[in-house]
Amino acid sequence: MKKQKGLGRGRASTWQLLLIAAPGLIYLIINNYIPMFGVFLAFKDYNYFQGIFGSRWCGFENFEFLFRTRDAWLITRNTLLYNAVFIILGTMFSIFLAILLHELGTRKRVKFFQASLLLPNLLSWVVIGFIVYAFLNADTGFMNNTVAKALGKEPTNWYTTTGPWPFILTLVYLWKYAGCNSIIYVSTIAGIDKSIFEAADLDGAGKWQQIIHITIPMLRPTVVVLTLMAIGRIFYSDFGLFYQVPQNAGRLFDVTQTIDTYVYRGLMELNDVGMAAAAALYQSVVGFLLVVGANALVRKLDPDNALF
Amino acid sequence: MDQNYTESKHFRLFCTIVLTVLAVIALLPILLIVIASVTDEKALLANGYTFFPAALSTDSYYYMVRQGGTILRSYGITILTTVVGTLGGVLFTTMLAYPMARSSFKYRNVLAFFVFFTMLFNGGVVASYIMWSRIISIRNTLWALIVPNYLVTAFNVFLVRNYYATGIPEALIESAQIDGGNEFIIFLRIMLPLSIPVIATVALFSGLAYWNDWVNGLYYITDPTLFGIQNLLIRIMNNIQFLKSGSNAALLGTQAVELPGTSVRMAMAVIGMLPVVLVFPFVQKYFIKGVVLGAVKG
Amino acid sequence: MKKMLSLILALLMVFSLLGTVHAENYDQVVFSYATFNNIPTAEDLAVVEEAINVITREKIHAEIKLKPIVIWDYSSQISLMLQGGDQIDVFESLGDFNVCVTTGMARDLTDMLATDAKEACELVGDDWLAACSQKGRIYGIPTLKPIALTPMVIYRQDIVDELGLDMSQVNSPFDLTEIFRKVKAGRPDITPLSAVNTGNIGLGLTVPHVDYLSDDYYSPKGVLMNGEMTVVDFYASEEFRKACELARTWYNEDLVMKDAATTSSTAAELRNSGKYFASIASYSYPEADTAASLELQSNGIKLGAKIIGSAFLDTTSVNALSWMISSTSKVPEAALKFLNLTYCDPDIINLVIYGIEGRDYVKNDDGTVRYPDGFDAASVPYTAQLSCGTFGNFFLMYPMEGTSIESLAWEQEQNKNAETSAAMGFTFDNKRVKTQYTAVSNVIEQYLAGLICGAVDPETEIPIFLQRLSDAGLGDIIAAKQAQLNEWLAAQGK
Repeated sequence: MKKQKGLGRGRASTWQLLLIAAPGLIYLIINNYIPMFGVFLAFKDYNYFQGIFGSRWCGFENFEFLFRTRDAWLITRNTLLYNAVFIILGTMFSIFLAILLHELGTRKRVKFFQASLLLPNLLSWVVIGFIVYAFLNADTGFMNNTVAKALGKEPTNWYTTTGPWPFILTLVYLWKYAGCNSIIYVSTIAGIDKSIFEAADLDGAGKWQQIIHITIPMLRPTVVVLTLMAIGRIFYSDFGLFYQVPQNAGRLFDVTQTIDTYVYRGLMELNDVGMAAAAALYQSVVGFLLVVGANALVRKLDPDNALF
Repeated sequence: MDQNYTESKHFRLFCTIVLTVLAVIALLPILLIVIASVTDEKALLANGYTFFPAALSTDSYYYMVRQGGTILRSYGITILTTVVGTLGGVLFTTMLAYPMARSSFKYRNVLAFFVFFTMLFNGGVVASYIMWSRIISIRNTLWALIVPNYLVTAFNVFLVRNYYATGIPEALIESAQIDGGNEFIIFLRIMLPLSIPVIATVALFSGLAYWNDWVNGLYYITDPTLFGIQNLLIRIMNNIQFLKSGSNAALLGTQAVELPGTSVRMAMAVIGMLPVVLVFPFVQKYFIKGVVLGAVKG
Repeated sequence: MKKMLSLILALLMVFSLLGTVHAENYDQVVFSYATFNNIPTAEDLAVVEEAINVITREKIHAEIKLKPIVIWDYSSQISLMLQGGDQIDVFESLGDFNVCVTTGMARDLTDMLATDAKEACELVGDDWLAACSQKGRIYGIPTLKPIALTPMVIYRQDIVDELGLDMSQVNSPFDLTEIFRKVKAGRPDITPLSAVNTGNIGLGLTVPHVDYLSDDYYSPKGVLMNGEMTVVDFYASEEFRKACELARTWYNEDLVMKDAATTSSTAAELRNSGKYFASIASYSYPEADTAASLELQSNGIKLGAKIIGSAFLDTTSVNALSWMISSTSKVPEAALKFLNLTYCDPDIINLVIYGIEGRDYVKNDDGTVRYPDGFDAASVPYTAQLSCGTFGNFFLMYPMEGTSIESLAWEQEQNKNAETSAAMGFTFDNKRVKTQYTAVSNVIEQYLAGLICGAVDPETEIPIFLQRLSDAGLGDIIAAKQAQLNEWLAAQGK
């Protein structure tokens, strides 16, 4: 097996490559870069009549609300911890699914499994909120009505008990995304040179050994890239998951409140575009610093897999 | 060899069992929605969601059909935008990813950073709105459902770059260069065919994004003849959510607004999924073929 | 698909052409409103616009472009379009009066009203106009409609008859406990009280004589109570504690739905399920009418209504739904003149609400209207009927078939007679305390629903709640309110 160091060490034609990249680059400039003037909003006391450039500069005033609250630590902690769990468990579970799917090859049932695991991705968070509610509500919910009764247990008031929610939210997250994310690993495994497995077969390596010694190491570059990208968004949270799924239940805020839900609830009445922009900028900047740091680390340890 | 054979047979059995369990877990809640959508509204409220409803009713679907023949048309629009958007997206994404994967390309890191930056920072909806609706007037055209936001995303570009950089032997490119192929030829003749597994993946992600999208429709489409299916559903769904908040209900002082009930909402969820369920097996045929095909060549 | 595309393109071209033909002569006014109904197609909308223009060209030398927007996203879309530089001339505040004023979205109308909106001003009266002002300048015209919301209990008449209950003795929420106990004893299969919205069993609004001082009714911060001019913390009040204790009693005795704080069902759904006896909410119609209108959608369950509190008007009840002219409008005079027509011209207002007679609705002999045979709200080409309570002058609209015409008189009386806060006309500008607002809003979201639905013990929870509120800066908000209120009082010479 050759040492992989990117593609073709032969001289690349710069202008040809730039030309190939051009359509995508132009799109990103139009769709993402030019609209970035919108970040000015974060430093403006926005006035509709004066517009974005005419409004008064207000320094960091719009950022204040993110920090001057007793909950600042809580929402940061929740956001970070959930994301960490989602990155770790999500990756492990997706790889697990991908390996299982891969081992079955092209058999008919693979189609069925893949389709069923993908379906949850098509449901909106509002609907998923209803489903979870169907399971957990106090009066007619499946858990209290059927499961608890069958086990002879006292019914639990799920929407006022914080304990189980970190697990519930993680479960719901995996349910919605794992199937979809496993596709990435399925395609990566499919890209592995078959002769490596054949050689291992000849050497008498069993399935488990092949998975541990060949498949998983071969997935490392993908894992690294996906994790780096996830770290960039580690201050963001999936709003629907934390707002719709717990049905906005106040008693659960200690374990369900994240930066996004806090900002949403805080700005419901104020509708302040400057403060909303400030929150988004804060999340981006922190994510950016973290990812630049992590990327530098990766570059040191494993230079081939750094993002940039 | 023999031992290996029985081992892999056992292993496959193990895979099948685990996957069956997981598939059931994935499907049960969805089945619950389907059943709730055909449960009689009264029974649904009295007994809650159940797999064995006391009374069935197709009222909720009747209600949705009554909303007009618009459902079929919006299916058409969603399918069209999904197909066009996915094709265009895959093409631009792979084109952008290729130079980033060439280690001898001077600007590969600059390019990578340039792309990655868009994943973190954005100017907010207002700035994009100004861009797309005022500077490039695509309001009330099908382009508005295809172009903004989803065409090329940093995430997909990195997926493809990563695949190119690790999954394709560089010897292939070197030999092509010796044969006198320029970058365009290498990209078209070698990279594209070899990257079918990742193209299938990116196409799937992009397709899902287009299918599930209602944001573009909300911002850039005011003519209901151009509404996609999700736009149709989100309007009803979110009007309900809007009224569920006490302050909004008090504000309007009209408790008398007739709202569709739970089973209708479930029917909406089913209507949103249905075509995908119907079409997916065909897409999947190509998908699995693509993944395997790529593997054979690689 | 191709055919459809070209058809759409052709239509678009036709309309852009139509649009430019008249552009030279008349002021073009864009009128944007929130709708619950389907968004009409461009062709169907154009017919209504043309019918309106026939009137407006002559009366105010302007042409109107209608821009219906889905109600759930109305405020953010208006904000987006105004920021994006789109033309929006007339829009509604939809609960955000203060935001619209402090951010410069709304134009100062003070000097234009007398010339361009004389009729509307006379109709709504000076007191109501004052409620749409800030620091003495007027920024909007309130919707003229029944705004006096009277707290009522809506109950199932069949169960009242079955158990022989006497609802006439019920005059406050506290009287309900006995009734609920009897219902529970007589019909164990039924829960006496249901939620009316998520996290709301209706008790909050039964607390009498509260001026919310520009806050959301469901998230009050500093308020005036019992006619005093001192801003107080609503949650520290005796009345709030009593309401929570009442809810707690009901909760402990299983007299109220356990899931009230999180339910995902709507009030009507819960009512129709047959599993609940009553709900508490505020309505603007007389008792019998309220019951009758709710019965229309209750699957044949007989309903009754009993008033259990009194209506109270404060600034927010008037200006929550007010109409404004955008600060960026190039044709503010024409826009205001058109807005004026929605208050005084029955043809205009009914065109906006019901569309074209014969196509979108038909008139009955008694003056009410209905959808044409074979059509309903979802299938007529144009209707905005479900938003009828949000437009100009409610009293000029044709009543929908099934509503009683006499109740309009009662509603107008209620508007006049309802007790009015002494601080009517005062609006609070929260600019200096935004940070505290976000923190306090979050604390309220966390604690209020549980308390007011009885899910937690007020004895232990209220003190924690109050502590968290004060940590979040409620004191600053109250102080700021008091300072502005004092200034306002001084300016009023009171």
